[in-house]
Amino acid sequence: MTGLDAPILPTSIAWGLLIAFSILWVLLGWWLGRRNRTAEDHMLAGRNVGLALATATAMATWVTANTTMTAPQLALQLGVWGMLGYSLGALGLILFAPLARRIRELMPGGFTSGDFIRLRFGTFTWRVFLVVSLIYAFGWLVSMAMAGGVLINALAGIDYRVGMSVILTVCVIYTLLGGLRAVIGTDFIQTIIIIAGAAFIAWLTIDRVGFEAIHFNLMEERPELLSLLFPAAIMFLFNNLLFGVGEIFHSNVWWSRAFAFGRNVGFRAYLLGGLLWLPIPIVAGFVALATPALGINVPAADMVGPLVAAEVLGLTGAIVVFIVVFAALASSLDSLLAATSDLVTRDIYRGHIRPQASEQSQFRATKVIVVLLGLLTWLAASYRGELPIIGSLAELLYFTGAFVASAIWPIVAGLYWRRANPHGAAWSMILGSGIGLASYFLIGFYVAALVGAAVSLAVMVLSTWLAPRSFDWDRLSRDASTEEVRTA
Amino acid sequence: MMISSTALSVIVVVATLVASLTPILLLALFIRDWKKGCLW
Repeated sequence: MTGLDAPILPTSIAWGLLIAFSILWVLLGWWLGRRNRTAEDHMLAGRNVGLALATATAMATWVTANTTMTAPQLALQLGVWGMLGYSLGALGLILFAPLARRIRELMPGGFTSGDFIRLRFGTFTWRVFLVVSLIYAFGWLVSMAMAGGVLINALAGIDYRVGMSVILTVCVIYTLLGGLRAVIGTDFIQTIIIIAGAAFIAWLTIDRVGFEAIHFNLMEERPELLSLLFPAAIMFLFNNLLFGVGEIFHSNVWWSRAFAFGRNVGFRAYLLGGLLWLPIPIVAGFVALATPALGINVPAADMVGPLVAAEVLGLTGAIVVFIVVFAALASSLDSLLAATSDLVTRDIYRGHIRPQASEQSQFRATKVIVVLLGLLTWLAASYRGELPIIGSLAELLYFTGAFVASAIWPIVAGLYWRRANPHGAAWSMILGSGIGLASYFLIGFYVAALVGAAVSLAVMVLSTWLAPRSFDWDRLSRDASTEEVRTA
Repeated sequence: MMISSTALSVIVVVATLVASLTPILLLALFIRDWKKGCLW
């Protein structure tokens, strides 16, 4: 029986893997980013990314440590609906496909999601949006840094803080060196590693344990996990759907890619990426259902994936999980570091502190901000036990659900609804986040996004119905170009 | 209402099959983009 009392991967092997992959990512980051000369090169990789790299980066960024570790955790806690619900997160990518095309058409020279909100809805809504977006980005960053530390500690016995620090430092270095080009290039390799690794573990679990044994033992010990009418799980399914959509629609991680992908690439890349992402949480999550059949004691729910892999495959399983999760962590951490630093550079530094900042000073600022973000993330992840909201990975992730779901309708209305009321957009985010958070504490983590999205929709529709405005779409590209010329 | 062993196995096997083929598809797209000179 495997438990957390003893590491399942020898420390020397874990250090060897950490060092080898760290060197690989840093060298690739440096090599890919060596031709970056301007902030635009650094932030948007030349604005002409092709379909293969675009699809892979969409998938890799959306396959996070949360997918590889939380999907098994949710399967263990919520059963079949847990893993199916998580896989519905793919709809976020699929539904973003037409938005990516629209974004590129409306703002061919845009940089961030903040640029769009400011030009479309004005300063007040833009500031509310920045608060929502930055809370989410920071929550996501911390949850991934925590996942890295927890995984390395559980698998190899390396101190939580040391493991977390190594992963974070590596991502900061290569993002710093290569910007979005490094992020997208490494994402391609990381996608292949993650998917091949997860599929390998799933096939071997099927082969070694078998569906009959898995099903029989679940019926004996945890029948609720096989129930198709598990109320909390069904609520979770819809909550996760809205959470995923909210995350992708508002976050600069996805907007910066929409600006960076070549003309006519965004729609196809997000659609294909979403369809190929759909099975991954099922593949990663299903192994948790094998725990009763394997007789595994699971002392911490978010460690169930690695525990099953190590039980089924021994040392090989531990190595594969270690590499997969390291790749998953890096692929999302780098994207989030790059996109959040872009948002802070453009919308806080240039938008609020130095409006006349030149291209070169923005380039420098982006790099300083990546380092500062890494440092803040490290501090929060280091002292996670002392922060009241940071419990398990899933709890932290879904804490941000209220914020992100409340941004869905302002984004959609902003892109497609000419009459959308700008102040209504701000209040739909404020009230959606507030009431969504209240439901997180009063009802449960699985309803925060659901409530946040419902309140936000009601406010957006009501405010526009009561006080409709008219907007000239051409203003988006015209005003953005004027600002760039002024800065240059 | 419980999911049957067969239904569970169909869902998981199809998902794992798609995941197994994904790296091959991505590599094929990469080679195509590379040949057409539209990787970046």
